[in-house]
Amino acid sequence: MTKKNSGHKSAAVSRRTLLQAGAATIGAAAFPMPVIAQTKPFAGVTLRGASFQHRFFTLLQNYIPEFEAQTGMKVDLQLSAFPVYNQQANLELSSGGSAFDFVNVTFILAARWVAAGLLANLDEFTGDPNLTPAEWKPKDFVEGAQVPYRDAKGATYGYSWEGGAMVMGLSRMDLMEKKGLKVPKTFAELQQVCAEINGVENVTGIVSFQLHHWCLPPYIQGFGGNIFRNPPTDIMPALNSPEAIQAIEFYANLLKNYAPKGVLTYTEDQARQALLTGRSNIFIHSSAWITPILMSGDSKVKDTSRVVRMPAGPVRDFPAANSQGLGIPKNAKNKKAAWEFIKWALSPEISMRLVKEHGHSSVCRRSVIESEEYRRLNTVNGQDLGALYLEVLGLPAKGENYMAYRTVKEFPIVGDVLNKAFEQVATGQLPAQAAMNAAQEQAIANMRRAGTAL
Amino acid sequence: MSGGMSGPIRRSASARRLVAIGVTLIVLLSPFLWLLQMSFKSNDLILQFPPPLIFTPTLQNYASLWQGAFPASFVNSLMSASFSTALALILGVPAAYALSRWAGRGKHALSFAILVTRMAPPIAFTIPFFLFYRWIGLLDTVTGLVLVYTSFNLPLVIWMMQPFFETVPSSLEEAALVDGASTRIVFLQIVLPMVAPGIAATAILCFLYAWNDFFFALILTRTNARTAPVAVVNFMNYEGWEWGKIAAGGSLVMAPVLIFSLAVRRYLVSGLTAGAVKG
Amino acid sequence: MSGKGLVDAERRRFNVFALAPSLIVLFAIAGLPAIYLVVTSLTPFQLVNPGSSTDFSSPLRNYRLLPDDPRFVNSLWVQAKLSFWGVLFQVLLGMLLALLLHTQSRVAEFARTFFLIPMVLPPIVVAIIWKLIYTPDISPLYYAAGLLNIAMPSLTSSVDFALTAIIIADTWEWLPFTFLMVLAALQTIPDEFSEAALVDGANRFQIFFYITLPFITPILVISGMFRLIDSVKAFPLVFLLTGGGPGSVTEVTNYYAYLLAFDFNEIGYSSAVTIVMLLLVVAVSFGVVWMGRRREAMA
Repeated sequence: MTKKNSGHKSAAVSRRTLLQAGAATIGAAAFPMPVIAQTKPFAGVTLRGASFQHRFFTLLQNYIPEFEAQTGMKVDLQLSAFPVYNQQANLELSSGGSAFDFVNVTFILAARWVAAGLLANLDEFTGDPNLTPAEWKPKDFVEGAQVPYRDAKGATYGYSWEGGAMVMGLSRMDLMEKKGLKVPKTFAELQQVCAEINGVENVTGIVSFQLHHWCLPPYIQGFGGNIFRNPPTDIMPALNSPEAIQAIEFYANLLKNYAPKGVLTYTEDQARQALLTGRSNIFIHSSAWITPILMSGDSKVKDTSRVVRMPAGPVRDFPAANSQGLGIPKNAKNKKAAWEFIKWALSPEISMRLVKEHGHSSVCRRSVIESEEYRRLNTVNGQDLGALYLEVLGLPAKGENYMAYRTVKEFPIVGDVLNKAFEQVATGQLPAQAAMNAAQEQAIANMRRAGTAL
Repeated sequence: MSGGMSGPIRRSASARRLVAIGVTLIVLLSPFLWLLQMSFKSNDLILQFPPPLIFTPTLQNYASLWQGAFPASFVNSLMSASFSTALALILGVPAAYALSRWAGRGKHALSFAILVTRMAPPIAFTIPFFLFYRWIGLLDTVTGLVLVYTSFNLPLVIWMMQPFFETVPSSLEEAALVDGASTRIVFLQIVLPMVAPGIAATAILCFLYAWNDFFFALILTRTNARTAPVAVVNFMNYEGWEWGKIAAGGSLVMAPVLIFSLAVRRYLVSGLTAGAVKG
Repeated sequence: MSGKGLVDAERRRFNVFALAPSLIVLFAIAGLPAIYLVVTSLTPFQLVNPGSSTDFSSPLRNYRLLPDDPRFVNSLWVQAKLSFWGVLFQVLLGMLLALLLHTQSRVAEFARTFFLIPMVLPPIVVAIIWKLIYTPDISPLYYAAGLLNIAMPSLTSSVDFALTAIIIADTWEWLPFTFLMVLAALQTIPDEFSEAALVDGANRFQIFFYITLPFITPILVISGMFRLIDSVKAFPLVFLLTGGGPGSVTEVTNYYAYLLAFDFNEIGYSSAVTIVMLLLVVAVSFGVVWMGRRREAMA
């Protein structure tokens, strides 16, 4: 009896806070919070979490008062700039710190953190029906987005809040049609379109940004190469394979000849701006950065834009997929409370609200992405963005897991070397062959120095 | 220094020279002024070219800073810089006095060791400090920052104060000592007042160095003790740089040191050159 | 006699009390970390592997790896270039500026303070200022170049200009330091010297080369050395403007050590890099002290 009463009370409080916070009340009514706790078991707990600044968290912060009212805990979510967060969180976790109860598991660091056992095994929480109700459905997360958070044995250390499915955005279909150009489906066509469009009406053929070890691997794999010989089992770097060299040359040429000045140091935002304003015709990156050309109010090219699969290589067609997830540090002080938060933040209800109330569509729950509502909201000019997103995100889990190179904990070491080598090629300091030979040697040396047996 | 101020070379400044000085000043300060004017522009105006010289300044960038976590970082900066300055002065001023009056053999070696501490690249301290703080729980605390800043401010005080003490004629002290005053009394009541300007100059520099630190704060703080220089970098977002906010944040971070330095410019000049000119 | 002895004993006691706290604190916050750094540099310590912090099985491993690490060798070279050009420009321009302002005028004296502004600004703000100047989208520099129909490359991402961009920013920041030092030295030149020379019919350049320059040379050298030592600390500029790139074109040793320790968690190896850097700094510091003493002896 008392249980039921306080349950009512918490719902009432949650709704009132919501009103105070000025958040959308319709959403709350349509998706009442699952009654997680009848009393407030976490009263007095201050939950400390950290991430880099991202729209997801900015939006989530609108909803957090509801969660606080419901559970009685206080959420202290600290958002830092991307490089600052990564450096500090990596240091914190690597040194076994307990300052944070939950953290963002940044994609580039996921493999390292999981392999080094720096995160808590979340199966312990999902496996316990007292902690996780069946409706939460851990299997609902898109498989491709969950790969980075699994260890060799298949245990899960994080749940994704953002899926990055690499797609291609074209902003100036008008120019392309005038020239009789079709959407490029192969690398060769990509180069051709870039060459033909570049310079027309001051538009550059392509734009990209500085995380080369994210943009580049699809080309390496497309030509038939890979980062490691056979990840995750054989992690001997394969940076100087003929395929890799060919890919480096290809991508470096694109950026050298058809991209804006300074593209090598472009941030994602600068690249997005170039695409949204129609200053660059093509940008190949995660969907969250590309789909705004069709959906954002800032887009000046809504009518002339297309979002499609990235072109296929001559050998393989492996568009990259990534994700950002939430996890709990191994030494966190309030693990249960942290799980409560993760469960809430990544619940189907919140995911759906983000989609409906804010048009934030890069969520990772399949049930949400496949819902009618989502499809209706994410179909623009006849293009079903949800289907494309799901298709690319699901690819690595279907056939060969080509994103396995990302689950190698040494990837940050090799990725860094690859980054430097690519910059050397793209700036003309070294020919591709020489740069990649040196990179291979250095990747091996660095891995050995870090204690990896090869 | 005040000896022959009436020489023909320096007596008068020609109009041409004054113009040259003015132009050089404007050219040199233009990057700084650019940041300043940007902080009063809305984001649209910032991206507008040609840049409008006359525009309605807006305080919206500053206002939005004041609502976030920025003020807290400002307080952290203020506290860590002030406390470390105070600590370094309390410890270092007597030590500098003792060293300046000490004719012992180890003096040069000791001075050298102190100088090296000052010169060492910060990275040399961060690694041990990080691991140690992690262990005793001083990470992300103002106390932790105060200690680190003292590690470079204390040598600075000892190094800078010695020449000031050396200018105090020892005959004064000896007279007092003969009168039966203890060294402590002589130091506190006779010598210290005479080097007050030196102390002021030193304090300003200590504060400046601690306030300006970016590296230690980047590594040794998370969020609770985050200082203003690190907080400014935080406006460089994953999803887009807020130029207006960055400019306003930068202006705010530099405001205290700027106002401070200009207000006490006489001491600042002697402070900045003291250690070095004396060699 | 015994009275003097008493005073001496009292003075010694005072010295101990005055010096001891500082020395103890200095030892604790500077000496111990230095020792720890040396010890750690003898281990393959990685943060994720706590056991490795006490693994002394191959103490010189890190130091043996150093010469064959192209990034380390390159970083020393980049540091040398940055230091050389930075210091050179700072000393030369600082001297010119000091000569310009070495005049008796209220206005000049007032202006002097404003020339110090770049030096007192927080280095991270200096980095932000130059980030604004070097970002094509919002930079007045690129706009001006565009008006003149000059195609300016993106400075911070160009192999040829990235280091130059940092040197310019560094020079801007520290020019006031050498300026101030030289100005102070200029003011100690007795005017009789140049008066006499003027009477002898020497022109301005002759006065500069035969009287002023010899007089300020020691201060030029000393301020140059101070700047040399501090140039090793250049961090915010590299951190914010280039991140060490493109490639490793602007990756100075300090930045590389930072990446190793706090990005790759290779504490042991990073310590070894830092030790090498520290030794270089000690060598230069030694030079400064030596120069200073020689000056004292000459004076």
